[in-house]
Amino acid sequence: MVQYGGDEVSALVLDIGTSSTRAGYAGDDTPKAIIPTTYGFVRDGGPDAPMDGTDAPSTKMYVGQHGPSVWRANMEIGNPMQDGMIADWKPIPALIGHALRDVLRVNPEEHPVLVTEPAWNTPENRERMAELMFEEFHVPAFYIANTGVLNAFAAGKGSALVVDIGRSTASVTPVVDGFVLRKGLAHSGLPQLVHAQARNILQGAAGGPIRLLSHQLIASKTPVEPRAAPIFTLREDRLAQTPASLLRHYESIAADEWLQSVAGVLDQGWNEQAAASRPLKQHEFATGFNTYFAGERFAAGELLFSHTRELAAANPQLPHTLPALLSRALAATDQDMRGVLLTNIVLTGGGSMLAGVGERLLTELQRNVPHVKIHAPGNPTERRYGGWLGGSILASLGTFHQLWISREEWQEHGKSIVGQRCK
Amino acid sequence: MAGASAADIRGILSLPENAAPGPSQMRKPPTKKPEGIPRELYALIGPSAPTMIAQPAKPRFKQKPNLGGGGSVRWEERPFKNPARTDGLVLKHWVKASVDPNEDYPFVKYNVKGPIYNYTSEEYVRLLEDSSWTKEETDYLFSLVKEFDSRFYVVSDRYDFPGGRPRSMEWHCQDLKDRYYSVCRKLVRSRPWSGDDASKAQLLSSLQFDKDREVTRKKYLDSLENRTPEETAEEEALYIELKRLEQTERRFKLEREELLRTLLGVESGLPGLPFEEEGPLGDPRKRKRIMEHDSATPPSASTPIQPRRVLPQMPQQSASSAQYDQLHCIFRPDPRMIVPSKSAHNIAYLRSGKMPYPKQSVAAKVTQVLTELDVQQTRLVMPTRENLLAYESLIEAATQLVEAKKVSDRLDQDIRVAKQRLGLRESAGETQERGEGSTQETVPMEQDEEDGGGQDGQRAGSVASSRSVKSRRTSQRRSLSVSSVDTMGAGRAQKRQKLS
Repeated sequence: MVQYGGDEVSALVLDIGTSSTRAGYAGDDTPKAIIPTTYGFVRDGGPDAPMDGTDAPSTKMYVGQHGPSVWRANMEIGNPMQDGMIADWKPIPALIGHALRDVLRVNPEEHPVLVTEPAWNTPENRERMAELMFEEFHVPAFYIANTGVLNAFAAGKGSALVVDIGRSTASVTPVVDGFVLRKGLAHSGLPQLVHAQARNILQGAAGGPIRLLSHQLIASKTPVEPRAAPIFTLREDRLAQTPASLLRHYESIAADEWLQSVAGVLDQGWNEQAAASRPLKQHEFATGFNTYFAGERFAAGELLFSHTRELAAANPQLPHTLPALLSRALAATDQDMRGVLLTNIVLTGGGSMLAGVGERLLTELQRNVPHVKIHAPGNPTERRYGGWLGGSILASLGTFHQLWISREEWQEHGKSIVGQRCK
Repeated sequence: MAGASAADIRGILSLPENAAPGPSQMRKPPTKKPEGIPRELYALIGPSAPTMIAQPAKPRFKQKPNLGGGGSVRWEERPFKNPARTDGLVLKHWVKASVDPNEDYPFVKYNVKGPIYNYTSEEYVRLLEDSSWTKEETDYLFSLVKEFDSRFYVVSDRYDFPGGRPRSMEWHCQDLKDRYYSVCRKLVRSRPWSGDDASKAQLLSSLQFDKDREVTRKKYLDSLENRTPEETAEEEALYIELKRLEQTERRFKLEREELLRTLLGVESGLPGLPFEEEGPLGDPRKRKRIMEHDSATPPSASTPIQPRRVLPQMPQQSASSAQYDQLHCIFRPDPRMIVPSKSAHNIAYLRSGKMPYPKQSVAAKVTQVLTELDVQQTRLVMPTRENLLAYESLIEAATQLVEAKKVSDRLDQDIRVAKQRLGLRESAGETQERGEGSTQETVPMEQDEEDGGGQDGQRAGSVASSRSVKSRRTSQRRSLSVSSVDTMGAGRAQKRQKLS
């Protein structure tokens, strides 16, 4: 027991990300509850009701696996996350409640809960999270930990340079001895750019734009030859009652699927010929249209590492590329730390699952630095839910239990205790 | 026999012994059967034999693992309090029911804190005043150091003193360390110390911090990091070159030493001596000879160290012998130059019969050179001492030449490789110079080879000059010593002829 340092107190770990919310018992290797963070809601007054944010209490919210993925008339789609942080607190209790009570089927009043936050989270946000957990879920103890640190822990490292490519944000976090070096923190909305580029590619595909629809809107389809026009019938009845946000959601899902199944990154830097020489990959869309993708499937992923001159000229506010983020992070850290960090790079996050990202990152780094070592878990669960996994490890350690913010302390010290305890 | 075996059988079957006395009755007292002997065997050999028999110990097998065979372990969920906490948070964990519930929480022992230094405001005023630090800021620094357990990287990262300095003048990690450690040193020095002086000195040395050195070190690290790839590559190439040179140097040195040892044997430390000098009587190597021979015989050079002792008597006096020698063209080499040969008996032979041969490894090339020079390699027409010497030096020179050519070729090759490695971007800096230097070294050798057409001596000289003076001297000495041995034989032969 003491040898591995674990002492499980049946704590829960809650990791809210842009694409999914993970919850499970500390000590497990996989979160038991994985639900989309995106939620659906239907305004009582129908689609024409005022969108001023002051939703009537009768607004019906649909969360979980059967939330946004089920078509409902006039259901709109929302996502509380922005820039990796919780921006909209309204659906959060419902999301957490669903994950804990409906999926895990636990009573949160009986379990200490460890919640994760991005390294650039604001103090107000974390205090609000503490308040939510104590006041609404009545948890006995609470802790909020940094995803950067947790990702390092998940890789078994106390000091690491965590490169986390998520759904909406890519970040580089230097972690030393379990503390984030805040000056070296760098993040950007790079994955969103990649996503947008993927859509652009699909819109501008040879032979006209590809319709990005979801199967929920298609009544029937017939298999067709590659590159042939799709033969399908739309569910016009549904389409009429599908608001724009849901359509966008379906489109983004289709683009994501395309990215995940087809797109990749050239491991030796951008090169038209190399991209063209890679094998073609076929992808079939929900409409039944299918085609082969050649060089363009590498164009989207390439944006993680470099921007073309035209793109950079057209958008001065372009998010920084990964090499830029890395060099910024390294420049801001102490010289003594750089060697340690560079030999302990942890590549994590679902966005890093794009084929070839690890190899390319290594190539980019080796151009400038002689000794680099990248730790990229091969197991997709570890890669995608690294933050949760680190939380699971942390909250099941015997030495950790002195750090919990207990209910008593919360009542005694109030919000200030969060900043004092969770460094 | 039959009775005995019956008793034995009875014994074996542990039947009660019958009253009839038999030979087996001797064994009747119940002596205990030793371990490891089969009962039947024991019944045959009796108790007297065991010393003869090896008593095999019972084979010891690895102990079977105890797989918790004691039934199922009971676990129970127990509430516990962590003593490190100030509040009354009670968490529950599962423990074995056998664990004592009053036992301390096992993880408390890991909750250790480093030594924390504190100061009173009076102490601050008395000792710790610093123009660039206010007391508030020092307090803040100490609280941070305490909070982050002296992790200064984190402290300097989180350092955000309210109303602190402008961003451009922010403290660096080394500034914070310097302040913290200097304060701690002052505190330790000024306060009464309970332990001995050694431990105090040790503590003080552990609190030592040299800020300037740290700054220099970081600057150096920075410059090291900011090298361009070209610089790194050049450094690497230079390093490899250096290693190679060192290796060559070492090999050369070894070779030279070996050569010296081979040529001069134990005498290798001695300088060259004039030839016509009489060896000192006290020379230990000659004492033997003197004892064996007529002690009146001067230890002249004609009788070398070893075996050829059955020789005609040499002229007795050194002056007259010199005269005689001169008259008869007898040349006596210095005995100390002679390398003792291994074999016990050397037959006298004519010097002309022993031609020097080039080294096996370069023989073909040397032969080629000699052919180019129109030198006959069979027997010399006039094998005089001088001729032989010349011939030998020629061979020597040719060998050296061939070897030098080899070295030069290798260097050329190395330079070409190095140049390729450094690539075309190589600046006209150090590397070029180095390259030129080495080519210059090799060029004259090639010229030597080219112009060394006729004059062997010159050629030998020029080749030798490219080597060190010392090596030239050794080469001379070698030729001398070799020829001296042989001319001696020749001289003797001449003499013998005369005598006969």
